[in-house]
Amino acid sequence: MNEDFLTEEVIKRRALISRVKIHSFQTLFAVLLIGSWQLLTDRKILDPFFYGKPSGVWTQLVTWVEHGTAIGSLWVNAWVTLYEATYGFLSGVFLGIIFGIFLGRNKTAADIFAPYIKVSNSIPRVVLGSIFTIWLGLGSISKVALAFVLVFFPVFFNAFQGTREADAKLIANARLLGATNGQVTRRVVIPSALSWITASMHVSFGFALIGAIVGEFLGAQRGLGLLIATAQGTFNPNGVYAAMLIIAIMALTAEWLITQLENRLLNWRPSQVSGLEL
Amino acid sequence: MANGTRVSFTNVSKRFRTPKGGWYQALSELNLDIEPGQFVALVGPTGCGKSTALTLLAGLEQPSIGNVEVNRKIVTDIDTSTGFVFQHDSTFPWMNVYNNIAAGPKFRKLLEFDSLVKSWIAKVGLTGFESNFPHQLSGGMKKRVALAQCLINEPSLLLLDEPFSALDVQTRAIMTDELMTLWETNRSTVVFVTHDLEEAIALADRVIVLTAGPARVKADFLIDLPRPRKARDIRFDKHFLEIYQGIWKVLRDEVDIAYQRQLLAPAKGNAK
Ligand SMILES: Nc1ncnc2c1ncn2[C@@H]1O[C@H](COP(=O)(O)OP(=O)(O)O)[C@@H](O)[C@H]1O
Ligand SMILES: [Mg+2]
Repeated sequence: MNEDFLTEEVIKRRALISRVKIHSFQTLFAVLLIGSWQLLTDRKILDPFFYGKPSGVWTQLVTWVEHGTAIGSLWVNAWVTLYEATYGFLSGVFLGIIFGIFLGRNKTAADIFAPYIKVSNSIPRVVLGSIFTIWLGLGSISKVALAFVLVFFPVFFNAFQGTREADAKLIANARLLGATNGQVTRRVVIPSALSWITASMHVSFGFALIGAIVGEFLGAQRGLGLLIATAQGTFNPNGVYAAMLIIAIMALTAEWLITQLENRLLNWRPSQVSGLEL
Repeated sequence: MANGTRVSFTNVSKRFRTPKGGWYQALSELNLDIEPGQFVALVGPTGCGKSTALTLLAGLEQPSIGNVEVNRKIVTDIDTSTGFVFQHDSTFPWMNVYNNIAAGPKFRKLLEFDSLVKSWIAKVGLTGFESNFPHQLSGGMKKRVALAQCLINEPSLLLLDEPFSALDVQTRAIMTDELMTLWETNRSTVVFVTHDLEEAIALADRVIVLTAGPARVKADFLIDLPRPRKARDIRFDKHFLEIYQGIWKVLRDEVDIAYQRQLLAPAKGNAK
Protein backbone atom coordinates (compact mmCIF):
# COMPACT_ATOMS: atom_id res chain seq x y z
CA MET A 1 0.00 0.00 0.00
CA ASN A 2 3.05 2.22 0.08
CA GLU A 3 2.29 3.71 -3.33
CA ASP A 4 -0.74 5.39 -1.75
CA PHE A 5 1.41 7.72 0.28
CA LEU A 6 1.90 11.13 -1.22
CA THR A 7 5.55 11.85 -1.62
CA GLU A 8 6.91 15.34 -1.05
CA GLU A 9 7.45 15.65 -4.80
CA VAL A 10 3.89 14.78 -5.72
CA ILE A 11 2.55 17.26 -3.20
CA LYS A 12 4.87 19.98 -4.49
CA ARG A 13 3.95 19.27 -8.10
CA ARG A 14 0.25 19.43 -7.35
CA ALA A 15 0.70 22.72 -5.54
CA LEU A 16 2.68 24.08 -8.47
CA ILE A 17 0.05 23.00 -10.99
CA SER A 18 -2.75 24.63 -9.02
CA ARG A 19 -0.66 27.81 -8.63
CA VAL A 20 0.04 27.97 -12.35
CA LYS A 21 -3.66 27.47 -13.05
CA ILE A 22 -4.68 30.26 -10.71
CA HIS A 23 -2.04 32.64 -12.05
CA SER A 24 -3.07 31.98 -15.65
CA PHE A 25 -6.68 32.79 -14.88
CA GLN A 26 -5.63 35.91 -13.03
CA THR A 27 -3.55 37.05 -15.99
CA LEU A 28 -6.35 36.22 -18.40
CA PHE A 29 -8.77 38.28 -16.35
CA ALA A 30 -6.42 41.29 -16.30
CA VAL A 31 -5.83 41.05 -20.05
CA LEU A 32 -9.57 40.88 -20.68
CA LEU A 33 -10.27 43.84 -18.43
CA ILE A 34 -7.52 46.11 -19.73
CA GLY A 35 -7.98 44.88 -23.30
CA SER A 36 -11.69 45.66 -23.37
CA TRP A 37 -11.06 49.05 -21.79
CA GLN A 38 -8.50 49.80 -24.51
CA LEU A 39 -10.82 48.47 -27.22
CA LEU A 40 -13.87 50.39 -26.01
CA THR A 41 -11.97 53.67 -25.83
CA ASP A 42 -10.22 53.07 -29.17
CA ARG A 43 -13.59 52.55 -30.80
CA LYS A 44 -14.91 55.64 -28.99
CA ILE A 45 -17.67 53.60 -27.37
CA LEU A 46 -16.27 55.04 -24.15
CA ASP A 47 -15.03 58.59 -24.54
CA PRO A 48 -11.28 58.55 -23.75
CA PHE A 49 -11.55 62.23 -22.83
CA PHE A 50 -13.46 61.19 -19.72
CA TYR A 51 -12.38 57.61 -19.22
CA GLY A 52 -8.74 57.71 -20.27
CA LYS A 53 -7.23 54.62 -21.80
CA PRO A 54 -4.57 52.08 -20.84
CA SER A 55 -2.13 53.12 -23.54
CA GLY A 56 -2.62 56.72 -22.46
CA VAL A 57 -1.87 55.82 -18.84
CA TRP A 58 1.31 54.15 -19.98
CA THR A 59 2.35 57.15 -22.08
CA GLN A 60 1.64 59.39 -19.12
CA LEU A 61 3.87 57.30 -16.86
CA VAL A 62 6.68 57.34 -19.42
CA THR A 63 6.37 61.11 -19.77
CA TRP A 64 6.47 61.59 -16.01
CA VAL A 65 9.51 59.39 -15.66
CA GLU A 66 11.37 61.00 -18.57
CA HIS A 67 10.36 64.66 -18.23
CA GLY A 68 8.97 64.99 -14.73
CA THR A 69 5.46 66.15 -13.83
CA ALA A 70 3.82 69.55 -13.80
CA ILE A 71 4.76 69.84 -10.13
CA GLY A 72 8.32 68.54 -10.36
CA SER A 73 10.09 65.20 -10.47
CA LEU A 74 7.86 62.13 -10.19
CA TRP A 75 10.25 60.50 -7.77
CA VAL A 76 10.27 63.44 -5.40
CA ASN A 77 6.47 63.53 -5.37
CA ALA A 78 6.13 59.78 -4.88
CA TRP A 79 8.75 59.86 -2.16
CA VAL A 80 6.98 62.67 -0.28
CA THR A 81 3.71 60.73 -0.21
CA LEU A 82 5.47 57.52 0.74
CA TYR A 83 7.28 59.00 3.67
CA GLU A 84 4.25 60.91 4.92
CA ALA A 85 2.29 57.66 4.87
CA THR A 86 5.13 55.68 6.42
CA TYR A 87 5.69 58.13 9.27
CA GLY A 88 1.97 58.27 9.95
CA PHE A 89 1.78 54.50 9.81
CA LEU A 90 4.73 53.83 12.10
CA SER A 91 3.76 56.40 14.71
CA GLY A 92 0.10 55.30 14.59
CA VAL A 93 0.98 51.63 14.94
CA PHE A 94 3.46 52.30 17.72
CA LEU A 95 1.21 54.48 19.85
CA GLY A 96 -1.86 52.38 19.00
CA ILE A 97 -0.15 49.28 20.35
CA ILE A 98 1.16 51.04 23.46
CA PHE A 99 -2.19 52.61 24.35
CA GLY A 100 -4.17 49.51 23.40
CA ILE A 101 -2.12 47.23 25.58
CA PHE A 102 -1.94 49.72 28.43
CA LEU A 103 -5.68 50.28 28.56
CA GLY A 104 -6.37 46.59 27.88
CA ARG A 105 -4.32 45.63 30.92
CA ASN A 106 -5.53 48.43 33.15
CA LYS A 107 -9.26 48.35 33.81
CA THR A 108 -9.38 51.62 35.77
CA ALA A 109 -7.51 53.55 33.08
CA ALA A 110 -9.76 52.00 30.42
CA ASP A 111 -12.88 53.08 32.31
CA ILE A 112 -11.54 56.63 32.70
CA PHE A 113 -10.56 57.04 29.05
CA ALA A 114 -13.46 55.14 27.48
CA PRO A 115 -15.74 58.17 26.85
CA TYR A 116 -12.90 60.26 25.42
CA ILE A 117 -11.90 57.45 23.07
CA LYS A 118 -15.48 56.97 21.96
CA VAL A 119 -15.91 60.67 21.24
CA SER A 120 -12.64 61.06 19.36
CA ASN A 121 -13.36 57.91 17.39
CA SER A 122 -16.76 59.23 16.35
CA ILE A 123 -15.31 62.40 14.78
CA PRO A 124 -15.15 61.88 11.01
CA ARG A 125 -11.40 61.72 10.81
CA VAL A 126 -10.88 62.99 7.29
CA VAL A 127 -12.35 66.31 8.41
CA LEU A 128 -9.45 66.57 10.82
CA GLY A 129 -7.31 67.01 7.69
CA SER A 130 -8.63 70.56 7.33
CA ILE A 131 -7.83 71.32 10.94
CA PHE A 132 -4.35 69.90 10.63
CA THR A 133 -3.72 71.96 7.50
CA ILE A 134 -4.73 75.09 9.40
CA TRP A 135 -2.70 74.17 12.46
CA LEU A 136 0.35 72.66 10.87
CA GLY A 137 0.50 74.31 7.47
CA LEU A 138 0.91 73.00 3.95
CA GLY A 139 4.05 70.98 4.68
CA SER A 140 4.35 67.27 5.34
CA ILE A 141 3.58 67.43 9.05
CA SER A 142 -0.13 67.98 8.55
CA LYS A 143 -0.27 64.91 6.26
CA VAL A 144 1.65 62.77 8.71
CA ALA A 145 -0.78 63.88 11.41
CA LEU A 146 -3.80 62.88 9.32
CA ALA A 147 -2.26 59.52 8.42
CA PHE A 148 -1.44 58.99 12.09
CA VAL A 149 -5.02 59.63 13.19
CA LEU A 150 -6.35 57.24 10.57
CA VAL A 151 -3.94 54.49 11.61
CA PHE A 152 -4.02 54.97 15.35
CA PHE A 153 -7.64 54.05 16.02
CA PRO A 154 -7.90 50.69 14.24
CA VAL A 155 -4.57 49.57 15.68
CA PHE A 156 -5.54 50.83 19.12
CA PHE A 157 -8.90 49.05 19.10
CA ASN A 158 -7.37 45.79 17.90
CA ALA A 159 -4.52 45.91 20.39
CA PHE A 160 -7.05 46.68 23.14
CA GLN A 161 -9.37 43.87 22.08
CA GLY A 162 -6.50 41.42 21.61
CA THR A 163 -5.25 42.24 25.10
CA ARG A 164 -8.71 41.77 26.56
CA GLU A 165 -9.14 38.44 24.79
CA ALA A 166 -5.88 37.01 26.06
CA ASP A 167 -6.79 33.65 27.57
CA ALA A 168 -7.40 34.08 31.30
CA LYS A 169 -6.20 30.54 31.89
CA LEU A 170 -2.85 31.24 30.24
CA ILE A 171 -2.44 34.40 32.29
CA ALA A 172 -3.25 32.45 35.46
CA ASN A 173 -0.79 29.75 34.45
CA ALA A 174 1.97 32.29 33.87
CA ARG A 175 1.33 33.92 37.24
CA LEU A 176 1.41 30.55 39.00
CA LEU A 177 4.68 29.83 37.24
CA GLY A 178 6.08 32.99 38.81
CA ALA A 179 5.51 35.70 36.21
CA THR A 180 5.33 39.32 37.37
CA ASN A 181 2.77 41.68 35.82
CA GLY A 182 5.34 42.91 33.34
CA GLN A 183 6.28 39.39 32.37
CA VAL A 184 2.63 38.48 31.91
CA THR A 185 2.28 41.46 29.57
CA ARG A 186 5.41 40.66 27.58
CA ARG A 187 5.28 36.87 27.48
CA VAL A 188 1.55 36.18 27.39
CA VAL A 189 -0.57 39.21 26.58
CA ILE A 190 1.47 40.67 23.73
CA PRO A 191 2.03 37.35 21.94
CA SER A 192 -1.65 36.52 22.12
CA ALA A 193 -2.69 40.02 21.00
CA LEU A 194 -0.21 39.93 18.14
CA SER A 195 -2.49 38.31 15.61
CA TRP A 196 -5.07 41.01 16.30
CA ILE A 197 -2.44 43.71 15.96
CA THR A 198 -0.97 42.42 12.70
CA ALA A 199 -4.49 42.04 11.32
CA SER A 200 -5.08 45.74 11.91
CA MET A 201 -1.70 46.61 10.38
CA HIS A 202 -2.80 45.10 7.07
CA VAL A 203 -5.63 47.57 6.70
CA SER A 204 -3.85 50.50 8.24
CA PHE A 205 -1.11 51.06 5.71
CA GLY A 206 -3.92 51.69 3.25
CA PHE A 207 -5.39 54.18 5.72
CA ALA A 208 -2.01 55.88 6.05
CA LEU A 209 -1.84 56.35 2.27
CA ILE A 210 -5.37 57.73 2.28
CA GLY A 211 -4.35 60.13 5.04
CA ALA A 212 -1.32 61.37 3.11
CA ILE A 213 -3.21 61.75 -0.17
CA VAL A 214 -6.30 63.41 1.28
CA GLY A 215 -3.99 65.74 3.16
CA GLU A 216 -2.30 66.61 -0.10
CA PHE A 217 -5.67 67.19 -1.78
CA LEU A 218 -6.54 69.66 0.93
CA GLY A 219 -3.44 71.71 0.35
CA ALA A 220 0.15 70.84 -0.39
CA GLN A 221 3.16 71.81 -2.39
CA ARG A 222 4.17 68.29 -3.38
CA GLY A 223 2.99 64.68 -3.38
CA LEU A 224 0.92 62.23 -5.38
CA GLY A 225 -2.29 63.68 -3.96
CA LEU A 226 -1.39 67.05 -5.41
CA LEU A 227 -0.44 65.32 -8.66
CA ILE A 228 -3.89 63.73 -8.82
CA ALA A 229 -5.57 67.03 -7.98
CA THR A 230 -3.56 68.73 -10.75
CA ALA A 231 -4.48 66.01 -13.26
CA GLN A 232 -8.11 66.36 -12.26
CA GLY A 233 -7.92 70.12 -12.74
CA THR A 234 -6.59 69.72 -16.29
CA PHE A 235 -9.14 67.03 -17.18
CA ASN A 236 -6.45 64.41 -17.55
CA PRO A 237 -7.94 61.04 -16.47
CA ASN A 238 -4.79 59.20 -17.58
CA GLY A 239 -2.81 61.25 -15.06
CA VAL A 240 -5.23 60.25 -12.29
CA TYR A 241 -4.94 56.56 -13.23
CA ALA A 242 -1.16 56.74 -13.52
CA ALA A 243 -0.87 58.21 -10.02
CA MET A 244 -3.32 55.61 -8.73
CA LEU A 245 -1.14 52.90 -10.19
CA ILE A 246 1.91 54.20 -8.35
CA ILE A 247 -0.07 54.36 -5.10
CA ALA A 248 -1.30 50.81 -5.63
CA ILE A 249 2.29 49.60 -6.08
CA MET A 250 3.26 51.27 -2.81
CA ALA A 251 0.32 49.71 -0.99
CA LEU A 252 1.07 46.24 -2.34
CA THR A 253 4.74 46.50 -1.43
CA ALA A 254 3.84 47.56 2.09
CA GLU A 255 1.31 44.74 2.33
CA TRP A 256 3.99 42.27 1.28
CA LEU A 257 6.39 43.61 3.92
CA ILE A 258 3.71 43.44 6.61
CA THR A 259 2.92 39.84 5.65
CA GLN A 260 6.61 38.95 5.93
CA LEU A 261 6.76 40.55 9.37
CA GLU A 262 3.57 38.77 10.41
CA ASN A 263 4.90 35.38 9.32
CA ARG A 264 8.08 36.09 11.25
CA LEU A 265 6.29 37.09 14.43
CA LEU A 266 3.57 34.47 14.27
CA ASN A 267 5.67 31.49 13.21
CA TRP A 268 4.18 29.51 16.10
CA ARG A 269 0.73 29.40 14.54
CA PRO A 270 -0.46 26.38 12.58
CA SER A 271 0.23 27.24 8.94
CA GLN A 272 -3.36 26.95 7.71
CA VAL A 273 -4.45 29.94 9.77
CA SER A 274 -1.65 32.21 8.55
CA GLY A 275 -4.19 33.55 6.15
CA LEU A 276 -5.43 34.12 2.69
CA GLU A 277 -2.65 35.06 0.30
CA LEU A 278 -4.09 38.37 -0.80
CA MET B 1 13.40 20.62 49.19
CA ALA B 2 9.83 21.71 49.30
CA ASN B 3 7.86 20.70 52.34
CA GLY B 4 4.18 20.07 52.05
CA THR B 5 1.64 22.65 53.02
CA ARG B 6 -1.44 22.25 55.17
CA VAL B 7 -4.68 22.82 53.33
CA SER B 8 -8.16 23.32 54.63
CA PHE B 9 -11.61 24.08 53.32
CA THR B 10 -13.95 25.41 55.98
CA ASN B 11 -17.60 25.56 55.14
CA VAL B 12 -16.85 26.53 51.55
CA SER B 13 -19.59 27.32 49.07
CA LYS B 14 -19.06 28.63 45.60
CA ARG B 15 -21.64 29.78 43.14
CA PHE B 16 -21.32 31.09 39.62
CA ARG B 17 -23.44 33.42 37.56
CA THR B 18 -25.14 31.48 34.79
CA PRO B 19 -25.55 32.99 31.32
CA LYS B 20 -29.28 33.33 31.99
CA GLY B 21 -28.59 35.53 35.01
CA GLY B 22 -29.30 32.95 37.69
CA TRP B 23 -26.84 31.24 39.99
CA TYR B 24 -25.21 27.88 39.74
CA GLN B 25 -24.05 26.32 42.98
CA ALA B 26 -20.82 24.41 42.35
CA LEU B 27 -19.70 23.76 45.94
CA SER B 28 -21.86 23.62 49.01
CA GLU B 29 -20.48 23.59 52.55
CA LEU B 30 -17.33 21.75 51.65
CA ASN B 31 -15.20 20.86 54.65
CA LEU B 32 -11.84 19.23 54.18
CA ASP B 33 -8.48 19.19 55.97
CA ILE B 34 -5.34 17.95 54.32
CA GLU B 35 -2.16 17.26 56.27
CA PRO B 36 1.20 18.55 55.03
CA GLY B 37 2.72 16.09 52.59
CA GLN B 38 -0.48 14.15 52.09
CA PHE B 39 -1.46 12.83 48.68
CA VAL B 40 -5.20 13.28 48.34
CA ALA B 41 -7.36 12.19 45.44
CA LEU B 42 -10.69 13.87 44.76
CA VAL B 43 -13.15 11.71 42.90
CA GLY B 44 -16.70 12.47 41.91
CA PRO B 45 -18.96 12.54 38.89
CA THR B 46 -18.13 14.93 36.03
CA GLY B 47 -19.32 18.46 36.62
CA CYS B 48 -19.63 18.00 40.38
CA GLY B 49 -17.17 20.78 41.22
CA LYS B 50 -13.75 19.15 41.45
CA SER B 51 -12.02 21.66 39.20
CA THR B 52 -13.76 24.47 41.04
CA ALA B 53 -12.30 23.25 44.32
CA LEU B 54 -8.79 23.36 42.83
CA THR B 55 -9.37 26.82 41.38
CA LEU B 56 -10.17 28.08 44.87
CA LEU B 57 -7.05 26.44 46.30
CA ALA B 58 -4.91 28.05 43.62
CA GLY B 59 -6.36 31.46 44.42
CA LEU B 60 -7.78 31.92 40.92
CA GLU B 61 -11.28 32.33 42.34
CA GLN B 62 -12.62 33.28 45.77
CA PRO B 63 -15.20 31.24 47.64
CA SER B 64 -18.67 32.78 47.90
CA ILE B 65 -18.91 31.68 51.53
CA GLY B 66 -16.34 30.12 53.85
CA ASN B 67 -12.57 30.00 53.88
CA VAL B 68 -9.93 28.20 51.92
CA GLU B 69 -6.62 28.13 53.78
CA VAL B 70 -3.15 27.12 52.69
CA ASN B 71 -0.58 27.03 55.49
CA ARG B 72 -3.22 28.44 57.83
CA LYS B 73 -3.48 31.57 55.72
CA ILE B 74 -6.67 32.43 53.87
CA VAL B 75 -6.05 32.19 50.14
CA THR B 76 -6.74 35.55 48.53
CA ASP B 77 -4.45 35.47 45.51
CA ILE B 78 -2.20 33.28 43.43
CA ASP B 79 0.81 31.90 45.29
CA THR B 80 3.82 30.84 43.25
CA SER B 81 4.65 27.96 45.58
CA THR B 82 1.45 26.34 44.33
CA GLY B 83 1.69 24.34 41.15
CA PHE B 84 -1.37 23.75 39.00
CA VAL B 85 -1.74 21.42 36.06
CA PHE B 86 -4.97 22.49 34.43
CA GLN B 87 -7.53 20.05 33.10
CA HIS B 88 -7.43 21.68 29.68
CA ASP B 89 -4.40 22.62 27.65
CA SER B 90 -2.60 25.56 29.21
CA THR B 91 0.70 25.48 27.36
CA PHE B 92 1.75 28.75 25.74
CA PRO B 93 1.12 28.34 22.00
CA TRP B 94 3.92 30.78 21.06
CA MET B 95 6.60 28.98 23.04
CA ASN B 96 8.23 25.79 21.85
CA VAL B 97 8.51 22.78 24.15
CA TYR B 98 11.81 23.94 25.63
CA ASN B 99 10.59 27.45 26.37
CA ASN B 100 7.28 26.21 27.74
CA ILE B 101 9.06 23.99 30.23
CA ALA B 102 11.64 26.69 30.99
CA ALA B 103 8.88 29.27 31.57
CA GLY B 104 8.85 28.96 35.38
CA PRO B 105 12.64 29.15 35.86
CA LYS B 106 12.78 32.09 33.44
CA PHE B 107 9.95 33.98 35.14
CA ARG B 108 11.68 33.35 38.45
CA LYS B 109 14.96 34.57 37.01
CA LEU B 110 16.92 31.43 37.86
CA LEU B 111 20.39 31.64 36.39
CA GLU B 112 21.23 28.03 35.62
CA PHE B 113 18.26 26.18 34.30
CA ASP B 114 19.35 24.62 31.04
CA SER B 115 20.30 21.21 32.43
CA LEU B 116 17.22 21.20 34.66
CA VAL B 117 14.96 21.90 31.70
CA LYS B 118 16.66 19.24 29.63
CA SER B 119 16.30 16.67 32.38
CA TRP B 120 12.58 17.42 32.59
CA ILE B 121 12.22 17.18 28.83
CA ALA B 122 13.79 13.74 29.08
CA LYS B 123 11.62 12.72 32.04
CA VAL B 124 8.44 13.44 30.14
CA GLY B 125 9.81 11.73 27.04
CA LEU B 126 9.95 14.77 24.78
CA THR B 127 13.63 14.71 23.87
CA GLY B 128 13.85 15.57 20.18
CA PHE B 129 10.72 17.71 20.32
CA GLU B 130 12.35 20.71 22.05
CA SER B 131 11.68 23.12 19.23
CA ASN B 132 8.14 21.97 18.41
CA PHE B 133 5.33 24.37 19.10
CA PRO B 134 2.24 23.06 20.95
CA HIS B 135 0.17 22.86 17.76
CA GLN B 136 2.74 20.40 16.47
CA LEU B 137 2.19 18.04 19.43
CA SER B 138 -0.47 15.48 20.25
CA GLY B 139 -2.85 16.06 23.14
CA GLY B 140 -0.90 13.68 25.35
CA MET B 141 2.39 15.38 24.53
CA LYS B 142 0.94 18.78 25.42
CA LYS B 143 -0.21 17.34 28.73
CA ARG B 144 3.32 16.13 29.42
CA VAL B 145 4.67 19.59 28.63
CA ALA B 146 2.18 21.02 31.12
CA LEU B 147 3.27 18.51 33.77
CA ALA B 148 6.96 19.25 33.32
CA GLN B 149 6.25 22.98 33.20
CA CYS B 150 4.61 22.74 36.60
CA LEU B 151 6.78 20.15 38.34
CA ILE B 152 10.08 21.81 37.41
CA ASN B 153 9.28 24.53 39.97
CA GLU B 154 8.96 21.99 42.81
CA PRO B 155 5.72 23.39 44.19
CA SER B 156 4.98 22.68 47.84
CA LEU B 157 1.30 22.36 47.01
CA LEU B 158 0.62 20.49 43.81
CA LEU B 159 -2.82 20.66 42.21
CA LEU B 160 -3.37 18.17 39.43
CA ASP B 161 -6.63 18.28 37.49
CA GLU B 162 -7.02 15.00 35.63
CA PRO B 163 -3.39 15.21 34.54
CA PHE B 164 -3.23 11.80 32.93
CA SER B 165 -6.58 11.68 31.21
CA ALA B 166 -5.23 12.47 27.75
CA LEU B 167 -2.36 10.00 27.98
CA ASP B 168 -2.22 6.54 26.49
CA VAL B 169 -1.94 3.63 28.92
CA GLN B 170 1.81 3.26 28.55
CA THR B 171 2.74 6.91 29.03
CA ARG B 172 0.25 7.12 31.81
CA ALA B 173 2.01 4.35 33.70
CA ILE B 174 5.39 5.98 33.21
CA MET B 175 4.13 9.40 34.29
CA THR B 176 2.37 7.91 37.30
CA ASP B 177 5.57 6.26 38.47
CA GLU B 178 7.49 9.46 37.79
CA LEU B 179 5.03 11.42 39.91
CA MET B 180 5.23 8.83 42.71
CA THR B 181 9.03 8.93 42.79
CA LEU B 182 9.03 12.69 42.80
CA TRP B 183 6.47 12.90 45.55
CA GLU B 184 8.22 10.27 47.67
CA THR B 185 11.38 12.38 47.58
CA ASN B 186 9.97 15.86 48.20
CA ARG B 187 6.67 15.08 49.96
CA SER B 188 4.75 18.05 48.72
CA THR B 189 1.05 18.15 49.41
CA VAL B 190 -0.82 16.84 46.39
CA VAL B 191 -4.47 17.30 45.51
CA PHE B 192 -5.17 15.06 42.59
CA VAL B 193 -8.46 15.19 40.71
CA THR B 194 -9.39 12.17 38.67
CA HIS B 195 -12.42 10.30 37.46
CA ASP B 196 -10.42 7.08 37.48
CA LEU B 197 -10.97 5.39 40.83
CA GLU B 198 -8.22 2.82 40.27
CA GLU B 199 -5.73 5.57 39.67
CA ALA B 200 -6.94 7.42 42.75
CA ILE B 201 -6.47 4.40 45.02
CA ALA B 202 -3.13 3.44 43.50
CA LEU B 203 -1.65 6.88 44.10
CA ALA B 204 -3.28 8.46 47.12
CA ASP B 205 -3.14 8.34 50.90
CA ARG B 206 -6.74 9.44 50.99
CA VAL B 207 -9.56 9.25 48.52
CA ILE B 208 -12.31 11.81 48.98
CA VAL B 209 -15.61 11.09 47.29
CA LEU B 210 -17.57 14.21 46.39
CA THR B 211 -21.31 14.34 45.88
CA ALA B 212 -22.91 15.04 42.54
CA GLY B 213 -22.94 18.85 42.23
CA PRO B 214 -23.00 20.94 44.32
CA ALA B 215 -20.00 19.11 45.75
CA ARG B 216 -19.76 18.23 49.41
CA VAL B 217 -17.56 15.57 50.95
CA LYS B 218 -19.58 12.39 50.75
CA ALA B 219 -16.98 10.00 52.13
CA ASP B 220 -13.34 10.03 53.10
CA PHE B 221 -11.25 6.86 52.74
CA LEU B 222 -7.77 6.29 54.11
CA ILE B 223 -5.78 4.09 51.76
CA ASP B 224 -3.51 1.91 53.86
CA LEU B 225 -1.69 0.20 51.01
CA PRO B 226 2.04 0.01 51.77
CA ARG B 227 4.50 2.35 50.11
CA PRO B 228 6.50 2.60 47.96
CA ARG B 229 3.83 1.46 45.55
CA LYS B 230 4.17 0.46 41.96
CA ALA B 231 0.97 1.81 40.51
CA ARG B 232 1.16 -0.63 37.63
CA ASP B 233 1.10 -3.77 39.76
CA ILE B 234 -0.94 -2.72 42.73
CA ARG B 235 -4.29 -3.00 41.03
CA PHE B 236 -4.00 -6.80 41.15
CA ASP B 237 -3.49 -6.75 44.91
CA LYS B 238 -6.31 -8.38 46.87
CA HIS B 239 -6.58 -5.59 49.43
CA PHE B 240 -6.67 -3.08 46.59
CA LEU B 241 -9.77 -4.76 45.20
CA GLU B 242 -11.48 -4.67 48.58
CA ILE B 243 -10.81 -0.95 48.91
CA TYR B 244 -11.97 -0.40 45.36
CA GLN B 245 -15.26 -2.14 45.96
CA GLY B 246 -15.83 -0.23 49.17
CA ILE B 247 -15.31 3.15 47.53
CA TRP B 248 -17.10 2.28 44.31
CA LYS B 249 -20.25 1.41 46.25
CA VAL B 250 -20.32 5.01 47.54
CA LEU B 251 -19.20 6.66 44.35
CA ARG B 252 -21.64 4.75 42.18
CA ASP B 253 -24.67 6.37 43.79
CA GLU B 254 -23.31 9.83 43.02
CA VAL B 255 -22.39 8.87 39.48
CA ASP B 256 -25.94 7.55 39.02
CA ILE B 257 -27.43 10.79 40.31
CA ALA B 258 -25.26 12.84 37.96
CA TYR B 259 -26.11 10.53 35.07
CA GLN B 260 -29.84 10.76 35.72
CA ARG B 261 -29.58 14.56 35.69
CA GLN B 262 -27.74 14.44 32.40
CA LEU B 263 -30.49 12.34 30.92
CA LEU B 264 -33.11 14.78 32.16
CA ALA B 265 -31.31 17.94 31.04
CA PRO B 266 -31.73 17.48 27.26
CA ALA B 267 -35.33 16.34 27.79
CA LYS B 268 -36.06 19.66 29.47
CA GLY B 269 -34.45 21.44 26.54
CA ASN B 270 -36.56 19.57 24.02
CA ALA B 271 -39.81 20.33 25.81
CA LYS B 272 -39.37 24.03 24.94
N1 LIG C 1 -16.77 30.11 35.70
C1 LIG C 1 -17.92 29.40 35.75
N2 LIG C 1 -19.09 29.99 35.48
C2 LIG C 1 -20.25 29.29 35.55
N3 LIG C 1 -20.33 27.98 35.87
C3 LIG C 1 -19.20 27.34 36.14
C4 LIG C 1 -17.92 27.99 36.09
N4 LIG C 1 -16.96 27.08 36.39
C5 LIG C 1 -17.62 25.92 36.62
N5 LIG C 1 -18.95 26.06 36.48
C6 LIG C 1 -19.96 25.02 36.67
O1 LIG C 1 -19.73 24.41 37.90
C7 LIG C 1 -19.90 23.01 37.81
C8 LIG C 1 -18.67 22.30 38.30
O2 LIG C 1 -17.64 22.47 37.36
P1 LIG C 1 -16.22 21.78 37.55
O3 LIG C 1 -15.64 22.20 38.84
O4 LIG C 1 -15.42 22.11 36.33
O5 LIG C 1 -16.59 20.24 37.54
P2 LIG C 1 -15.64 18.98 37.50
O6 LIG C 1 -15.96 18.22 38.74
O7 LIG C 1 -16.03 18.20 36.29
O8 LIG C 1 -14.24 19.44 37.44
C9 LIG C 1 -20.22 22.70 36.37
O9 LIG C 1 -21.61 22.47 36.25
C10 LIG C 1 -19.84 23.94 35.63
O10 LIG C 1 -20.71 24.16 34.55
MG1 LIG D 1 -12.95 19.25 35.93
